[in-house]
Amino acid sequence: MDFELSEEHLALRESARALIAQRWDRDKSRLALDRPPARMPDSLWKEIASLGWIGVAGTEELGGSGGDLMAALVLAEEAGRGLLPGPFLPALAAGIALDRSAADDQRAELLGHLFAGDRVLVGAYDEPGGTWGPGSLHTTVTPTHTGLVVDGVKILVPDADRASAFVLSGRAGDSTVLAVVPSEATGVEVIPMNRFDGQSMAEVRFASVEVKGSTLIGPGRTPGGGQPADDAYDISTLVCAADLLGVSEAALAMATGYAKDRVQFGHPIGSYQAISHRLADLVVDTELGRSLLFGACLAMAEARDEAPRLVSAAKAWMSDTAIGATETALHVHGGIGFTWELDVHLYLRRARSGAASFGDANFHRDRIATLLAARDPSRSGPELT
Amino acid sequence: MDLRFSEEDEQYRRQLRSWLDGHVMAQRGGGSLASGGGTDIMEAIQMARDWQRTMWEAGYVGLSWPKEHGGQDASLTQQVIVAQELARASVPMLINTIGLSILGPTLIQHGTDSQRARFLPKILSAEELWCQGFSEPEAGSDLANLKTRAVLDGGDLVVTGHKIWTSLAPIADWCFMLVRTDPSAPKRQGISYLLCDMRSPGVKVMPLRNAGGGIHFSEVLFDEVRIPSENVVGELNGGWAITRSTLEHERSGLSGVLSLEQSLSKLRATASDMRRDGRPVVQDQATGRELAQRWIEVEGLRYLGYRTLSAQLAGRQPGPSTSVGKLFASRVRQRISRTALEIEGPLAQVTKRSPHVVDRGRWQAVYFDSIGHSIGGGTAEMMRNAIAERILGLPRTGEG
Repeated sequence: MDFELSEEHLALRESARALIAQRWDRDKSRLALDRPPARMPDSLWKEIASLGWIGVAGTEELGGSGGDLMAALVLAEEAGRGLLPGPFLPALAAGIALDRSAADDQRAELLGHLFAGDRVLVGAYDEPGGTWGPGSLHTTVTPTHTGLVVDGVKILVPDADRASAFVLSGRAGDSTVLAVVPSEATGVEVIPMNRFDGQSMAEVRFASVEVKGSTLIGPGRTPGGGQPADDAYDISTLVCAADLLGVSEAALAMATGYAKDRVQFGHPIGSYQAISHRLADLVVDTELGRSLLFGACLAMAEARDEAPRLVSAAKAWMSDTAIGATETALHVHGGIGFTWELDVHLYLRRARSGAASFGDANFHRDRIATLLAARDPSRSGPELT
Repeated sequence: MDLRFSEEDEQYRRQLRSWLDGHVMAQRGGGSLASGGGTDIMEAIQMARDWQRTMWEAGYVGLSWPKEHGGQDASLTQQVIVAQELARASVPMLINTIGLSILGPTLIQHGTDSQRARFLPKILSAEELWCQGFSEPEAGSDLANLKTRAVLDGGDLVVTGHKIWTSLAPIADWCFMLVRTDPSAPKRQGISYLLCDMRSPGVKVMPLRNAGGGIHFSEVLFDEVRIPSENVVGELNGGWAITRSTLEHERSGLSGVLSLEQSLSKLRATASDMRRDGRPVVQDQATGRELAQRWIEVEGLRYLGYRTLSAQLAGRQPGPSTSVGKLFASRVRQRISRTALEIEGPLAQVTKRSPHVVDRGRWQAVYFDSIGHSIGGGTAEMMRNAIAERILGLPRTGEG
């Protein structure tokens, strides 16, 4: 029985928090709102690659750091806390997804370069008119004798302007698959989109894009025995939930600090229950979120049956919590909270963006409803574990 | 990270489970242990006493107490396992839980040898049932405001006052209570901790009916009740400091998660059986979302419980973070019962023993019970205060 962060996790968290606070100037997140997108400087990208962050959970023989999935979520949380922009989290998620599902030769070819920071891979999953998940896929991936051909339109693709390749989901006949498509391939067009929090995002069109070689992943090779696309979606979702946890805790910390300092009617406003109880409720929400995140992480790492619904639980909960925490934090700051100069709206923007990404809270509640209905006993009574 | 218990612990669980299977089946054959007794209340109480005695003889009572005081010195994980297995088997709580969890640890840490010898064995065996005389009409959340007086007279303390919300008072043999012995001292410094025989002259118990219709607690009046001074626990006027005495015991709340999970499973079954406009209610999207959200909340509590247990096993005090679990657990309990009444739709107003009643009216009972959960044992607001002050470090609130 051990359900806490290890010494290694805690050390990683501490060093990540310090480094991000030192290297990423939040003013750049603010400036990016007028001149998008927010860009991580190449020097910082190289630095985090050299620290082993991109491959933090990656296989060591392929240049990864050999950590577990929790280590990746620790970094995702710190990225959220420090408002660190992409392509770190998209690349982190893409790397984990490929490490879990791709064939050995594919992993050998792709992951070393990704972990070293030489290439940037990002997931391209969403499509116009969809919500989230393979249900809304129209992109086709057609195998040919030399490779494959991709046709379709992806939207909300993170850091497409920096990507050397896309890990995209698509339909191959009746199956859902992943395919790795270089961004310089003929027929790939990147059209920038503006994200609410200033991070990089684009529509990416794939017009009869021919890809040589074996870049098809799936069907059916994940640790849980499911489809690689489903697994990749769940990994992205989980990384986003961790990002939102960091955002929520940062907002709560800002609001708590302000409530201790700001004096009105002769007392710090944090001594008034109208304020302190809202903040106490945020402690409850973030602690529950952390618990769900740990539960989902362990279930994914162990490829247990309940992993998909626990991932959805973590994301649904963190989507609601991040919005609640950042809105409350802004409110607790009063007038100053409503100014452009204060960082709190940056957190609110990141919360809103993340909450809408990779399936919003209602999407994941509906998914849980479907998954629970599938395991309802045939009326013979509840099954307990 | 690893949620598994050790093989030794699992062995302990298997033994307990098979022991429980045997006893629960035997008890159910002869009466109704699980439903808490039949129509005769005295018979039900005797059955509950017998059950605790049976559990005690088998070594499953006083788990966190040291062996030298008749306890089991059970590990934290064993304590979790017992709580989980009892919840799973749907057997009633031990009838003397208040004595076991509150008075026992206090006597073990602050009692005299003769107090321990006199009282502890009979707490374990349920031979003497205990109630707690802390709250008063003017001392609820602000417990230190208590007014019940005790005056030294010869070798006795003479107690006069009014206690309220006292669970088990009509059947308790003894009451551990807080009284004011020095009215001139600051309010937390003039309080003493006494043990009172409920059969003493001048003790009057008046049961209170709660909003849900049940009788769980009482008012207790003390009119010049004489208590020998050997029944003072700790120092005279030193009662306040020992009111929160506890032994190291598991605080994961994981057994509570199990009972919430059982409740939610029953609710899913109801939502699957019920039809509205020709379709099972569970297939309605809004209902599905609500049930999904309840499931998320119960899972959140489960993994929070594992975190708490894990911290305790690593030798860290979970401290105020258990307030998070308690506060949220009472909220989830309320939400489950509200969701249940929403699922019942128009039938939410139909009560037990009526045609068309859903689940024999259980959700209305659960609903009222759940509302009480954010009042009794520390209101939700007091827990928020604790979280705000002790986790966030915000300035103390509301105290003059």
